[in-house]
Amino acid sequence: MGEKRFMKGNEAIAEAAVRGGCRFFAGYPITPQNEIPEYLSWRLPEVGGAYVQGESEIASVNMVYGASAMGTRAMTSSSGPGISLKAEGISYLAAAMLPALIVNISRGGPGLGSIQPAQSDYLQATKALGHGGFHAMVFAPNSAQEAVDLVYDAWEYAERDRNPVLVLMDGCLGNIMEEVELPPMKALSDEDLPEWSLTRRNGRDYQGTITPIYTEPILESINAMAGETYKAWEEEDVKVEEFLLDDAEYVVVAYGIASRVSKEAILRLREEGYKVGMIRPITLFPFPKQSIRNLDYSRVKGIIDVEMTIPAQMRDDIALQVLERCPIHEYGRSGGCLLDDDGVYEAILEIVTGGNDNG
Amino acid sequence: MKQSFVFTGSGGQGIMSAGITLAHTAIDMGKHATYLPEYGPEQRGGSAKCTVVINDDVIVSPLPRMCDNLIVMNEVALAKFIDDVKPGGVLLINSSRIKGKIERDDVRLIAAPVDDIALQLGDGRVANIILLGILIGATGIVAKETLIESLKDKFKDKKPQVLEMNIKALDAGIEIGESSH
Repeated sequence: MGEKRFMKGNEAIAEAAVRGGCRFFAGYPITPQNEIPEYLSWRLPEVGGAYVQGESEIASVNMVYGASAMGTRAMTSSSGPGISLKAEGISYLAAAMLPALIVNISRGGPGLGSIQPAQSDYLQATKALGHGGFHAMVFAPNSAQEAVDLVYDAWEYAERDRNPVLVLMDGCLGNIMEEVELPPMKALSDEDLPEWSLTRRNGRDYQGTITPIYTEPILESINAMAGETYKAWEEEDVKVEEFLLDDAEYVVVAYGIASRVSKEAILRLREEGYKVGMIRPITLFPFPKQSIRNLDYSRVKGIIDVEMTIPAQMRDDIALQVLERCPIHEYGRSGGCLLDDDGVYEAILEIVTGGNDNG
Repeated sequence: MKQSFVFTGSGGQGIMSAGITLAHTAIDMGKHATYLPEYGPEQRGGSAKCTVVINDDVIVSPLPRMCDNLIVMNEVALAKFIDDVKPGGVLLINSSRIKGKIERDDVRLIAAPVDDIALQLGDGRVANIILLGILIGATGIVAKETLIESLKDKFKDKKPQVLEMNIKALDAGIEIGESSH
């Protein structure tokens, strides 16, 4: 049995990061993620790690680049506007093939948006986290516990792939307090430092340069290697929850907080005899294509994309798998206005009873 | 059974603290609980709201539209949230600050001048604990003893008088809550 605590999602991410081996954090304040840096500011020194409140988002992500190059498990966190500022640095991490954990506790957008929660950064997270056509694996937990589990192992993926990992969680889940069970501290020694790290310690042969600058043919081969990595993710690393799909006539696709609220609505609709199920992507990239592609479209009459953003951003990824075999509906709230149980229930009910067939 | 609580008022009135304490106590009793704070950029005086859901089973959605219990500390919050309590639910108001007529006749209304009572006890800051006491007395949602344990933990680094004052406030609230049946 792990250790149980009543924690905010943000604090749970911070503690799970430390237990997963994080020993460096740099960031710059922004709501609704401030509990992450606040927590790490006292927690990291307790375990011999380093915490820096940078002078800016850009400086912070580049400090993470430096720490990671030394083989340290390093992370930064922010919310939408700050992630945009970090985009250059994240792209450089990908170019230099450096692992890192980036956390986006998302809020309303675009621009300054709203400090209230929203799921408005799906496209940024999955399509273009920075320039240059790279991807990061994107984890989208829907509870503090799942955030703990995913963050705890984030560096295993990041170091395996030598690529940053993004955790995308809305400000609601970041600020909700729930009970979590914490895993033990990972015992990492110097021997666990990645082979490629710029360590100067005795007995190691590895000295060298880590660079995001390559000659053209080498850059091309690095691009191709990244492409192979993304393909492997699709085969091996997709995480998805499939809920009540066996007889479902309508299938909700929702992640994060939207999936929690949708599940409550689905349980209520099931009690009333409506055959509704749900596909919940836990990894947004790689996207759970097979789950949507392999639905029995002789039975499924509609897909309902529920997101806490307007317009829905997952819709194109869903459509590429549905291939016009049934209509795709969408429901959402946006701008910092929250989804709620009754709202999602009423929206789904209207669709399944034929009140809305315009997609 | 699933029960939802929405605490509303302005920053500095102990809204968040009351919500966390309630949720924490429920967890300590072996129940499941979620706590969601919502507030503006102001440190004091802005709108403050938190939602607590308590359930015997795992909580699926932490975002109910309508709550079973609405706790309101001032008139601004009352105007904003009065429609958010379910018919038959509990509407608990701070009558030290809410003087107007309550435009709901389908709820169980409990009005108590918690600011005045807190001042009479000797510390205006315990108004929120009086509200928690009223909720316990009126609904039995958590056990008094477990809540006191939670307060002990919360105030473990403060002078013993702080805990004593909070327990006095809790008792005063429970008495009001019990007599509201």
